[in-house]
Amino acid sequence: MFLFEHGAPLLKQLSLLGAGALTTLRIFFLTLLFSLPLGLLIALARMAPQKWLNAPVKLFILVMRGTPLILQLIFFYFAPFYMLPEGLRFNISRFPTAIIAFSLNYAAYFAEIYRGGIESIPQGQYEAAAVLGFTKSQTFFRIILPQVIKRILPPISNEVITLVKDSALVQVLGISELFRVAKNEASRVFSTTPLFIAGLFYLIMNWIVTKLFEAAERKLSYYR
Amino acid sequence: MEILKAENLFKSFVGTEDVVSGVSFQINEGEVVAVIGPSGSGKSTLLRCLTLLERVDHGSIFVAGKPMVTTSPTGRVTYVPEEQLRKIRLRLGMVFQNFNLFPHFSVLRNITEAPIRVAGMSPAEAESVALQLLAKIGLSDKAEAYPYQLSGGQSQRVAIARAMAMKPDILFFDEPTSALDPELTGEVLKVIRNLAAEQMTMMVVTHEMSFARDVADRVIFMDKGQIVEEGNPDTLFTTPTNDRTKAFLSNYHVNSGA
Repeated sequence: MFLFEHGAPLLKQLSLLGAGALTTLRIFFLTLLFSLPLGLLIALARMAPQKWLNAPVKLFILVMRGTPLILQLIFFYFAPFYMLPEGLRFNISRFPTAIIAFSLNYAAYFAEIYRGGIESIPQGQYEAAAVLGFTKSQTFFRIILPQVIKRILPPISNEVITLVKDSALVQVLGISELFRVAKNEASRVFSTTPLFIAGLFYLIMNWIVTKLFEAAERKLSYYR
Repeated sequence: MEILKAENLFKSFVGTEDVVSGVSFQINEGEVVAVIGPSGSGKSTLLRCLTLLERVDHGSIFVAGKPMVTTSPTGRVTYVPEEQLRKIRLRLGMVFQNFNLFPHFSVLRNITEAPIRVAGMSPAEAESVALQLLAKIGLSDKAEAYPYQLSGGQSQRVAIARAMAMKPDILFFDEPTSALDPELTGEVLKVIRNLAAEQMTMMVVTHEMSFARDVADRVIFMDKGQIVEEGNPDTLFTTPTNDRTKAFLSNYHVNSGA
């Protein structure tokens, strides 16, 4: 078989790909960890009546959604050095850059999903909570947010699935995530097999993501 | 004893005709007041001002003798500080036209959540209060149901129980049966009747004239943001003095007869 002819034992190849997959998983989980709560803050700022607050946030969302993520990765990597005046310049390492760019980018998308969800809750829910004496934060966290989460699960799952695949973009910074490792292996052994193994990994991961979201939707289906 | 007093209330919105312009009245303990009048006459806006869902542009409101909002002779409107407003809010209950139950809570939790979180009642006590209220409105078997499983009439009865669980001094109803078909209207009106029999102080905005006539101690007729006529229901319905009241009531009888 091709793989063995070139002297690369399958096990060794799998362990290389496994290490790449681990990096992909780290990017995936860290991005979600930061972008999900950050997106909520951005959504709240976006909906604030104060123009000084919502206007810059609108611009932020426009830029983050309106430019390629791959370009944002490059920007965040070079900006601390090239955009700061001499004396303040610093170099940022690759992996944190990737997490920052991904978290900000996904937070912008999540923010708009949160906003859609929050604005779909009828005004009457706020009024009922107000006359019962709930505070604003009780109203938001106990009455509004649980209903929002149920409504936004499908669009959120879309983004999370995209994130699994987008993680391959960090290779532009030279990070050895799954796709880059697979590509290198593919050229080294002159075979497409590593790429298909990587493809299978993304597919399995998104199958798990899909199952998890299905389970979450089922769990919240006790009310309408 | 007077439980609510409103003096010279004004409220308007940009771009709508629904306004309150110069409304004064008071409600005594145990009294049931029905507010009737054509659409856009400011009835609902008045109720929303009294329950702090809207802030008045002018005027004073006193709850159990204590000021909620006052207006100085120079026209400066002052609401009491937020922590006092919170206390006043607890004395006021509200039932909405569209029920506004919390869909993600069971019927029981819809009723117990505010007593526990806002009034600081123990969960056990809140639950026993809720179960008593459910028994009273004939929905003991629905404690574990969710709002989507209820009919409109059942939903509104739960909404009434939810408001009553906070033991308000006065309960406001904003067209409580307008979203219900006639068959379901009766079961909600029956619950309100029972509350009236227990001397619950209530102010009910309604289009149900026969209900207003039977249950209310006093009827207020509003038109164009003002109280045009008020009095005991027998007098107001049989011998209204104001022309606008006469016109409204005659229209109403034509409509309801059709």
